[in-house]
Amino acid sequence: MNESPSFDHRPDPELGAALRAALEPRDDSAAFAARVMAQYDAALERSSVAMFDVLASWFRPGMVAAAAALVLGFLFGRTVLGNRAESIDAALAPLEGPGLAALVTAQDPPDPSVVFTSLVEPQ
Amino acid sequence: MGGGGGGGAEGGDQALVAQTLAGDRAAFGTLIERYAGQARRVARAVLGDPDDADDAAQDGFLSALVKLGQYDGRRPFGPWLMRIVANAATDRRRRRNVRRAEPLDTALVGGGPRPDAMAVRSELNGRLRAALAELPERRRKAVVLFDVEGYSHAEIAGILGIPEGTVRSEVFHARRRLRTLLADFKEPMR
Repeated sequence: MNESPSFDHRPDPELGAALRAALEPRDDSAAFAARVMAQYDAALERSSVAMFDVLASWFRPGMVAAAAALVLGFLFGRTVLGNRAESIDAALAPLEGPGLAALVTAQDPPDPSVVFTSLVEPQ
Repeated sequence: MGGGGGGGAEGGDQALVAQTLAGDRAAFGTLIERYAGQARRVARAVLGDPDDADDAAQDGFLSALVKLGQYDGRRPFGPWLMRIVANAATDRRRRRNVRRAEPLDTALVGGGPRPDAMAVRSELNGRLRAALAELPERRRKAVVLFDVEGYSHAEIAGILGIPEGTVRSEVFHARRRLRTLLADFKEPMR
């Protein structure tokens, strides 16, 4: 091997060959590649199974929550909105009056007090 | 610089990376076969034990596959991959938290008999692995990447994340140490 004390910018072929032989894997690269690909396939399978499990675990609580929301929405609609008028005119009725007219016909941006008044003033 | 490292296969590497990203499983297999040798040697330089090294190299390849979208195709593929493999080996070594130098055969330590060329070669290999194991990890990686795998100082600097001048220094000190440790082995061989 090169015994020169100064730094050599080129690889030392003798040392390199000796180190290569010392570090050489025991079997061929094709067998190693096959093992890595098997791990890759197994990881893919695990991830897809895990994803299915996660989705399955979400399914039941999700269905329960959706059913509960449906029932609550139905009850809310019946109790809260049941006594109100159902037409759009009736729904907008609280907004009608001078406040609404001013809001619709004004050239300039509405005065917040007008908007606010139109909402809170009793008809 | 050629070797197993930077040059030669780059055009092919870029195409294989593109095919892998497009879902071509066989292209990834070809990349593994192309770089398996040096990945396993670099990992073994870090870990010592060949089975640990293969596990680390495997971790490195799978990690590289996950990160393949981040690879800059304008740069050589080998150094990018070796950085991941070297880090995987270091991570595995840290996880185990025990650095066991490969146990030396008592015959090696005691300078036992050398019946034939095969035994001499085996003894030399064992002595070299033991010598490597005594080096700091970064120094080990640097000398293997330079003298065994043929990467340039600049490429090794990128792989190890250290300045190029530090790579030169690490290679220099590693060589000096290895030569010192091997000197007493070589002399009786002449």
